[in-house]
Amino acid sequence: MKKEVLILGVGNDILTDDGIGIKLSREMQQRLKYDNIFYDTVCLGGLEILEYIKGYKTVILIDAIKTEGGIPGTVYYFTPADFKETSNLSNIHDVSFLKALEIGKALSMEVPESIHIIAVEIVEDLTFSEEFTPEVQAKYPEAILKTQELIEDILG
Amino acid sequence: MTRYTIDPVTRLEGHGKIEIFTNDDGEVENVYFQVPELRGFEKFCEGRAVEEVPQIVTKICGVCPGCHHMAAGKAVDAVFGVEPTKTAKMIRELFYMAHFVHSHIAHFYALGAPDFVVGPTAPKAERNVLGVIAKVGVEIGTEVLKQRRIAQEIQALIGGHQTHVVMNVPGGVRKGIKEEERLDIVEKAKGFVEFAKFSMKIFNDVVLANKDYVDIIVNGPYNLNIHSMGLVDANNKVNFYDGRVRVVDTFGKELLTYMPNEYLDNIAERVEPWSYLKFPYLKKVGWKGFVEGQDSGVYHATPLSRLNASDGMATPVAQEEYERMYATLGGKPVNATLAMHWARLIELIYAAEHCLELALDKEITGTDLRNKMYQTPKEGVGIVEAQRGTLTHHYQTDERGLVTKANLIVGTTNNHAPISMSIKKAAQGVIKKGVKVDDGILNMVEMAFRAYDPCFSCATHSLPGKMPMIVNIRKPDSEIIQTLRRD
Repeated sequence: MKKEVLILGVGNDILTDDGIGIKLSREMQQRLKYDNIFYDTVCLGGLEILEYIKGYKTVILIDAIKTEGGIPGTVYYFTPADFKETSNLSNIHDVSFLKALEIGKALSMEVPESIHIIAVEIVEDLTFSEEFTPEVQAKYPEAILKTQELIEDILG
Repeated sequence: MTRYTIDPVTRLEGHGKIEIFTNDDGEVENVYFQVPELRGFEKFCEGRAVEEVPQIVTKICGVCPGCHHMAAGKAVDAVFGVEPTKTAKMIRELFYMAHFVHSHIAHFYALGAPDFVVGPTAPKAERNVLGVIAKVGVEIGTEVLKQRRIAQEIQALIGGHQTHVVMNVPGGVRKGIKEEERLDIVEKAKGFVEFAKFSMKIFNDVVLANKDYVDIIVNGPYNLNIHSMGLVDANNKVNFYDGRVRVVDTFGKELLTYMPNEYLDNIAERVEPWSYLKFPYLKKVGWKGFVEGQDSGVYHATPLSRLNASDGMATPVAQEEYERMYATLGGKPVNATLAMHWARLIELIYAAEHCLELALDKEITGTDLRNKMYQTPKEGVGIVEAQRGTLTHHYQTDERGLVTKANLIVGTTNNHAPISMSIKKAAQGVIKKGVKVDDGILNMVEMAFRAYDPCFSCATHSLPGKMPMIVNIRKPDSEIIQTLRRD
């Protein structure tokens, strides 16, 4: 039987803002006490992600993103259909996130029926630190609320 | 001057950028390979207990976490002046062989094979791992993922986690291997050996049996005549985990050899104004520029260089394949950059065979897991072979074991100069006046560095939130005359 929902935080929590997906996922674990929701964190993308998400009906991925002129702390919502490349979901060492999903389907793996991506605009992911930048830190409480709202909408 | 920009590099970990400058005649004048660099690792480590560092470094890179964990673990052993027990060393090596199996399979099928199995100038929509699967069959694709997953399972079992490894402690490992676990790993390792041999067969059937491909490997613009580095055991056989670093020259003769704690006497790093990342070179030879030949200070640290720097492989099938490669390519050393794919498969066989050897040895279930004869902590260097080159970790501490200084030379950084030189040669070989620079041509340039399996995850892993690759072709006045986009 398929497991219901996986909320997967993606990123590196010692690279300044890059860990925002990991931290938000842990925050959601404290706030959202639904039955049959599983939580995990990972700092890998591509084919590795496939191994994590297979077998779930619904997967919600939370990652960092950098966009041209983006406002730090802004929370975006994507699906595979309108996917924009986030910081960690693709692994250029093997394949992109969308290619990984294609491979999963081509190989008859149990790819989730429903995939949602929540991405938060960040500033810095090249410097080792366990702290956010001030810009992202200032918006983090709002990002928590927005992420929770999005997940509650997704889960109905 | 026309400028071609490839940004970021496709199928390459991290956000790399290639700038190709041509003159008014359309000939390539210069090439710059640029990557940003992660900052602040040393500061991040300062003041932390050195025994925590092997766990921290697994987060440096999502691609080779096990390599950093292993180099750091060995450096921390040295900081405490302690040798791991025999059982602990075997367990570490077993973990490490699974790590190599996992990574080398990924490179061959996802990164290397598309260029050969599908074709170097095949339509870009097909030149990827799905194209490979379409050619070799869905069941092979399934097997690729299965073997990678099994390798991860072994790493998770031994290392405590498949990526955030917690195995190494000063003088040994945190936990041992039970007999039933050993027997399970034996069966899994048998599968690795068969799959590694099968992967070599694909290479034989698809690549070596194709005269055009062999011609590209041997005679294409993909040769680089520089020195070769690799870690070797007491018999000068390739060793990923332990031994001394050996460098052979462009004639295959031993140029120098050093133990980990002597690395600063042997390796120096060149700074160039156009690059964040440094360019390591052989200190005793000196920096002579981005030049080939016996007098150059440039070396490479790759699967091919490891084979060049050794006298052979320590396992039987890998040794047979080692001999076959050198017999086919005209003896040692081999300078054909694309032969790195071949060398990588020979290493895959070695890793699989050695994994099996270690698992078959019942001594690996021993309970003497940790040597606690610690000395006052001070300083230590650990060197292992990462999949992408020789990896050096160096820590200094105060007498309480708190880090005061940390320095890393990561695998791909060794190859920064060779990659830049290989790209330039490839670009000069394929970009000519009157030749339309299309996606296939640019892919042939990319093949030069893809062979190195470069990983700049240690440098950065941020993507720009746009298309993964944009190529601008500019007139001498920088006006864009053509834009190529690649997903």
